[in-house]
Amino acid sequence: MSTEETTSADAERKKHTISLDRHTSRYRIEFEELAKEFHGKCPVAWNDTHGGYWFASGNKELFDIARRADVLSNDHDVKGIRKGYQGISIPSVVVPGVPRRRGGFLEMDPPEQRYYRQALNPYLSPAAVARWRPVLEEVTRACIDEVIESGRIDFVDDLANIVPAVFTLAMLGLPIKDWTVYCEPTHAAVYTSPDDPGYARMRELQAVMGQHLMGNVFAVRENPRPGLINELLNLEINGERPDDGEIFGVIGLIIGGGFDTSTALTAHSLEWLSEHPGERDRLSRERETLLDSATEEFLRYFTPAQGDGRTISQDCVINGTEFKEGERLWLSWAMANRDEKVFEDPHNVHLDRKGNRHASFGLGIHRCIGSNVARAVFKIMLTAVLDRMPDFVCDPEGAEHYDTTGVINGMKHLPATFTPGRRLGPGLEETLERMQRLCDEQGLAEPVTVRATAAKLDG
Amino acid sequence: MKVRVDSELCQGHTLCAMNAPDLFALRDEDGHAYALLEEVPADKEGQAREAARSCPEQAIVLF
Repeated sequence: MSTEETTSADAERKKHTISLDRHTSRYRIEFEELAKEFHGKCPVAWNDTHGGYWFASGNKELFDIARRADVLSNDHDVKGIRKGYQGISIPSVVVPGVPRRRGGFLEMDPPEQRYYRQALNPYLSPAAVARWRPVLEEVTRACIDEVIESGRIDFVDDLANIVPAVFTLAMLGLPIKDWTVYCEPTHAAVYTSPDDPGYARMRELQAVMGQHLMGNVFAVRENPRPGLINELLNLEINGERPDDGEIFGVIGLIIGGGFDTSTALTAHSLEWLSEHPGERDRLSRERETLLDSATEEFLRYFTPAQGDGRTISQDCVINGTEFKEGERLWLSWAMANRDEKVFEDPHNVHLDRKGNRHASFGLGIHRCIGSNVARAVFKIMLTAVLDRMPDFVCDPEGAEHYDTTGVINGMKHLPATFTPGRRLGPGLEETLERMQRLCDEQGLAEPVTVRATAAKLDG
Repeated sequence: MKVRVDSELCQGHTLCAMNAPDLFALRDEDGHAYALLEEVPADKEGQAREAARSCPEQAIVLF
């Protein structure tokens, strides 16, 4: 084909072109209108921002594309030794002065990706997570005890940031009392852009966290203790151990995935329940039948991880759209979750929604490996709030959403007031010391294949 | 009505076991689902249909 013909064929392929910068507040504020517009006009469109990429927003279209591991790649070729693919972030995350790192197995393709998931699944499966329930309930109890007499809480700072962070560190085999070293830099990394005044502080905290993590990984290598880190250090792929860079990439993925998303879901759900007190009371009353469906509905509606990038790994045609090798693609889980062709009344929350096959944990071989962790911590935190501060009222003036939701639909703060109550036990610091002893004595961070029984609080 | 889980498609979303705990179980090691019974009892057919509808990967086969 001549250049002219190629250009015209390209124009035909990209006839539905949009200009949507996901990293502006327009995407967050006009999300519903944009979703309706794209679903009606262009469920798969060419987005001409950030170097150009395909944008899949329709539920069926996304379903048909996302599961095609044969024509999609998650690879992030940071060393430029394969095809130079850019991984799952659009645009690529470039931090000046910091070498790029692969984001663990979420930026790998099979078979390599599969080895990691098979190794880590026995720590993260529903059965594995269920063993931790008594510990999670106790940490949640302590977080609430810290504030219960005051009648005031920041649901993000005092609860939803803490429980997922503590649990993630416990599963990794890191000291849980050090959750504060990890908490702020992990969340701030999501919502702080390089031109933000808080950027320098975030980078400093990240450096402290990196040092802490490195010291602990080396300590586990010297003196093995159970947990995801130990598993990664002993993993062999085709007879070879992954290098430290890959291992830190995987740990970074687990921390990044374990912290901010669960916080985002919990905060948004509590904010919604405060705005809908009748629904909150109904959920509390009928939790035996509603808790599961409400959780899935909040996951659908708030979609904490809004989407993921891919690279087309070979020319293909899917549902009439012609994709070319090397082109970038965004799978908008968030917009697919609002498609009226699959979800009736998609832009409203229905706590008892049926047939809720949302894509909030992704679709296909990269399904969020921490999905069972997210559901467990969310349900435990939510039910504790419903039990102990049933009349909570969030303060809309103090609620702070992320300015942009290009990556995570998160919240920084969510202050609320409630009728004060009584403490039920020791505070957080003492509780974390006790929980650490339980982790160590009972080997709680072992995989479910080694330790099948649940944690015992009096053990 | 009969039911099975297409293990090639199942990715461990767990919604089938959530919606129809009498019909599906999840493997301890990875949470992927399997059908407990091939033959769906008459009073559980609604649950089976709901599980199939809810599966994000559409991995539940009713036949």
